[in-house]
Amino acid sequence: MFVDFFYLLKKVGIPVSPTSFLRLQKALNMGLVNSVDDFYTAARSILVKSERYFDLYDQVFAHRFQGVELKEPDAVEISDVARALLEEWLKNPRELADLVGIKEEDLSKLTPEELLQYFLDRLKEQTEAHHGGKKWIGTGGTSPVGHSGYHPGGMRVGGVSRNKSAVKVAMERRYRDYSQEGPLTESQMGEALKRLRNMVPHGPKDRVNIDETIYETMKNAGEIEIVFDQSLRDRLKVILAIDNGGWSMDPYIGLVQTLFNYARAQFKELKTFFFHNTIYDYLWEDPQRRSKPFPLDELPRLDPETRFIIIGDASMAPYELLSTDGSIYVGERSGKPSYMRLEFIAKTFPHSVWINPVPPVEWAYTRTILHIQEIFPMFELTLDGLEKAVSHIMRKN
Amino acid sequence: MNKAIQNRTFSGGSKYVLDEELAKIVNISIALEMPLLLKGEPGTGKTMLAHAIAEALQMRLIVLNVKSSMKLIDALYQYDTLTRLNDSRFGDSKRDVSNIEDYIKMGKIGQSFASDERVVLLIDEIDKADTDFQDDMLDVLDQMEFDIIEIDKTIQAKNRPVIVITSNAKKDLSDPFLGRCNFHHIAFPEPDMMRKIVEVHFTGIDKELLDSAVRTFYRLREIKGVEKKPATRELINWIRALRSDPDFRVKDLVKGEVPFLGILYKKSPDYAVAQNAVGRFRA
Repeated sequence: MFVDFFYLLKKVGIPVSPTSFLRLQKALNMGLVNSVDDFYTAARSILVKSERYFDLYDQVFAHRFQGVELKEPDAVEISDVARALLEEWLKNPRELADLVGIKEEDLSKLTPEELLQYFLDRLKEQTEAHHGGKKWIGTGGTSPVGHSGYHPGGMRVGGVSRNKSAVKVAMERRYRDYSQEGPLTESQMGEALKRLRNMVPHGPKDRVNIDETIYETMKNAGEIEIVFDQSLRDRLKVILAIDNGGWSMDPYIGLVQTLFNYARAQFKELKTFFFHNTIYDYLWEDPQRRSKPFPLDELPRLDPETRFIIIGDASMAPYELLSTDGSIYVGERSGKPSYMRLEFIAKTFPHSVWINPVPPVEWAYTRTILHIQEIFPMFELTLDGLEKAVSHIMRKN
Repeated sequence: MNKAIQNRTFSGGSKYVLDEELAKIVNISIALEMPLLLKGEPGTGKTMLAHAIAEALQMRLIVLNVKSSMKLIDALYQYDTLTRLNDSRFGDSKRDVSNIEDYIKMGKIGQSFASDERVVLLIDEIDKADTDFQDDMLDVLDQMEFDIIEIDKTIQAKNRPVIVITSNAKKDLSDPFLGRCNFHHIAFPEPDMMRKIVEVHFTGIDKELLDSAVRTFYRLREIKGVEKKPATRELINWIRALRSDPDFRVKDLVKGEVPFLGILYKKSPDYAVAQNAVGRFRA
């Protein structure tokens, strides 16, 4: 009787298996499910195997049992993004007024909803005018991973929602923060990065290899022959290069910092460098990009097996990337345009990726992003993207 | 199987505050004889749940703490070759060297199968082990039996244990594995729930202390840029410390002072960040 429900779950992309559906039927037959509430809990625990899909499940459940409209993901995302941006900008109404082109006094007359609508309209009109680093909608924190992220700590627990119907609980969408496209939390980020481990034997031979020992002892007619092995250590080298300059990266700095903290704990060898917008002749070891330059030409001296990870929004004026003296810093005038420098890095380190906090839907609108995408495989800075990036750089060849 | 045991339902333990949703899931899993996979932040009581189930259903609890280097066979049984080799060379034990069975020791899963009464088997932090471990374990848990190759004997579960598996989501579990489990994600408790949890641990705790401690705790959890947020376990230890300090006054918490911060934050960078943020509480 719940076949539609099952197929609807499948259709929205929750991996549900027929076996689990049959198991749900079994639970129904055993009389374990006596109400919609029970059904909500039972079906979720049996059918849905990851908290990442709990949010989708809630939506489907509410849709199927209450007729709540299933939203197209895009619509949700844009308005969320817009709302986040708007909240940020409302801290400084004057700036906002300038940006959307109305007077500050008029602005205060609009309700938040009207303002949002107005803003969305402008956003739609604005799809083409993205050039010269002056685009006013696009780079400023429109990623779903943005600063407006809630964290799971603030979420509802079933235990306190006793007096609500399951449909209401489902409509609250309390697992939204866990959904796959949701904001990255610190621990999720750590988990994704942990996959960067690469264990190789290293150090003194101080582990007894029992199996080998027994084999050798047998061969030795029972005289004990102990075989030692090296222990496994993580020897992966990682270079992180972070764009920490300019207002366009500001909304992501907190996020990127956490990423750093995690990264530091994860690897034996981790170098971190900073740059502004794109890379020219130097990377910087200090976040201020002033006192500790690292010449790019030194990079080939490092292990080519090093994983090179660049985090930046890749959004800038095209000349910064393409022109021979594109650097906004006068000190860097080697005559090589930045894109050649990036190609050089990609060639030096075959395992390299670019991680971009800007959501992929907007990539096509920024020329420099398109250009850099040709040089580095680019992934978005979400849990999903991070996982893909990690599996990409951990590939053997 | 014994119907009386099967029909026993779980409604919480003496030290465990159960939410209704989770109780339903536990009972469905017991009835369907499916392992229950629990995920959630550290400190949300995943392990405690298994203890509570064991206590409430009056079953023995067997805990398998999974380690990263673990192979399935370690969890099933161990053939102690070294002892046997030693006995064969020196022959000073009561064991019969020619009888291999004397050198077979049951692992945790083996014990839970061999037990005469139904037990609760907790497989803790399964994600620490590699995927091979999980895949190998599937068949064993599905068939409820395993072979001891050395003595050519099949061990069958006398009673199907109630299986609880916990995961901290360090690694993704394989799809076939997930397919054989019921799944639940334990979210971090809300303040109201947390108050109940604390009350269970400290019966008759001073209301004022409870309120301010929980409020301060949730405020501390808001601090950004921390690697390991304090969880339930830390809160309980912290309250224990507060209560045992004769100089401590509840008013200090209201004022924004946080004594014993080191109980809540155990990593030194986190501690520094938290200390900084606490400094701003007072302002």
